[in-house]
Amino acid sequence: MSLTTRDKIIETRAVTKRFGGRKSLFKPATSVSAVNGVSLAIKRGETFSIVGESGCGKSTLARLLVRLLTPSDGAVLYDGNDISALSEQEMRRLRKDLQFVFQDPFSSLNPRMSVGALIEEPMKVHTTLTRSERRQKVADLLNRVGLRPAFANRYPHEFSGGQRQRIGIARALASGPKVIVGDEPVSALDVSVQAQVINLLEDLKSEFDLTLILIAHDLAVIRHMSDRVAVMYLGEIVELAPNDALFDKPLHPYTQALMRAIPIASPHGRSMKAALSGDVPSPLDPPSGCRFHPRCPHATDLCSQQKPAPVPVAGDRTVACHHWEKIADDGQSPVQEPPRSPNAEKRFALFRTRSQQKEPTTATRP
Amino acid sequence: MPTEAPDNAPQNAPVLEVQDLSLRFKGAPANIVDGLSFAVRPGETLCIVGESGCGKSVTALSLMGLLPRGVARVMSGTAIFGGQDLLALPQRALADLRGDRISMIFQEPMTSLNPSYRIGDQIAEIVLRHRPVTRTQARARAQEMLERVKIPAASNRLDDYPHELSGGMRQRVMIAMALANDPVLLIADEPTTALDVTIQAQIIDLIEDLQKESGTALIMITHDLGVVAEIADRVCVMYAGRAVEEGPVAAIFDDPQHPYTIGLMSSVPSVGPRSGRLATIGGMVPAIDNMPDGCRFAPRCPFAGPRCDIAPPLAELGPSHRAACHYAPLESAFAEAAG
Repeated sequence: MSLTTRDKIIETRAVTKRFGGRKSLFKPATSVSAVNGVSLAIKRGETFSIVGESGCGKSTLARLLVRLLTPSDGAVLYDGNDISALSEQEMRRLRKDLQFVFQDPFSSLNPRMSVGALIEEPMKVHTTLTRSERRQKVADLLNRVGLRPAFANRYPHEFSGGQRQRIGIARALASGPKVIVGDEPVSALDVSVQAQVINLLEDLKSEFDLTLILIAHDLAVIRHMSDRVAVMYLGEIVELAPNDALFDKPLHPYTQALMRAIPIASPHGRSMKAALSGDVPSPLDPPSGCRFHPRCPHATDLCSQQKPAPVPVAGDRTVACHHWEKIADDGQSPVQEPPRSPNAEKRFALFRTRSQQKEPTTATRP
Repeated sequence: MPTEAPDNAPQNAPVLEVQDLSLRFKGAPANIVDGLSFAVRPGETLCIVGESGCGKSVTALSLMGLLPRGVARVMSGTAIFGGQDLLALPQRALADLRGDRISMIFQEPMTSLNPSYRIGDQIAEIVLRHRPVTRTQARARAQEMLERVKIPAASNRLDDYPHELSGGMRQRVMIAMALANDPVLLIADEPTTALDVTIQAQIIDLIEDLQKESGTALIMITHDLGVVAEIADRVCVMYAGRAVEEGPVAAIFDDPQHPYTIGLMSSVPSVGPRSGRLATIGGMVPAIDNMPDGCRFAPRCPFAGPRCDIAPPLAELGPSHRAACHYAPLESAFAEAAG
């Protein structure tokens, strides 16, 4: 990648995060490298997604990117400046730019604060707005995320999951950020509410010129929202590629297995395949060489001995596999959806048209 | 066994037939499940689909006699299983059925397994409860079941505690327990929702294989349309306590009739190439104290009209395909916008 510093908003250089490691009298210190030597660059204005299964380190990586966690090794750069060693106080100034939306809207909002106070708080810290200006902005933000300004006086418990996620988003926007990280921002929501919040995030991203970093395990959400996608396995990035390229032709055997396991929402689609046996190994004792080799159908001796380095591949992508050229898929996308029936197509179009006529009465009745 | 289906029952008679089931929470002004009917046949998979609060899980609990006493009660309906009405059976008789003729798998295996007992003992206990066998035989059965659910080195795993297993392995143990007595009916409530996608694929595969082997009828409760497309023979779509559409899986996906089914399907992002903004269903599910008298979907429905003040009945729109909408099929009622 030949990105200039201007294009790159966040960059990591061999960033590692270790947890644990307390020594005891009888056992040597054990530590887990939740993120292990990850280097990547996030472009200004893109939606960059990190996907992987539980325990792969995606949430840890997301927190490292905005220094909610301090790296054990390596560096994180924001706007070209190393932020991995900044003091709390220096970081506080940067928090204005780097905001976070959490998965669980039920536990990430202080239940004792009114919605208005929750959204106003970042403005108090980061801006010089007067009290009445802040009140006005709270009302604007609530309006913008599809909630009534009058809700400012209510408390989080009075709201549904989807509404709470909207409040969390309004709070993240309050300081005027440049980057928003969403850690599974829609995965706790029901399908119909999830669609509303996805659309909202996309609208806000273009309206406020945000860079969006999205952590998710739902590959359909990733496909719908991302520009580029990084696939993580046991703390490492195994593949990084533009969205369509990744889904059309996954190169890494782990990515291929992930895609084959997605259930396709059509009874005429290919059936999902349990392409991987066994579970993810414990990160306490990661496999030697390529961390994926014990589950990989293509593994050879080389894979257990030598860790594959990420290699650049045509089309602005990288893959970390010794054998990627040999195992490249036959060109058939593993996630192809069969066309919808004419009846379904017709009614989907009708639904869309009719709902648009009914807007903007969306989403927000108490 | 007093509850065995009679031998002269025709092969295709439903294993379970639920009619007009209504449930209500104490003090609530409306039913949380309202006039629900469905049936499931031997070897068949029925998926009940819907979002949080649509009543799909309470329905399952009521069939198992597991509704919390004094909190929820059955207002009407019958659930005929092996010639008996489950809703009218005394607790003792239900306890004899549970884990034997009818089994259930829950979403979160960690909370349904007892953390302080070894998994082998937990499976053996179910066998002992319902079968005249010795401890040794029950333990042998436990090991056999762990092998059937493809737990590697099953004989070494019998003495593991649940916390020593991964989420996927725990769900396999739950399945082993549920199938230990060869049930006629298995109810699975979001069995793969808490699992990663590659593990989900393994578990769904396993459930399908075991079901094929044993001919068990399966009721699968899920919110995931991908899982439905994968596993269902028939589908029942629920909204706010009522069945809004019901039919064979191909009909539901190829010929969706109810506006809620259509809206739900179009809100799901596709894993295929992006086709613009997601369609959404505006608003949210009505609260139980604010249920509309007529069609419960009407306040959010882009097609709602004056007729929706009266609750629409499930009407036949295709071979064993029914939907509860006054205006179905929508393209004939809304021809002007269809073009």
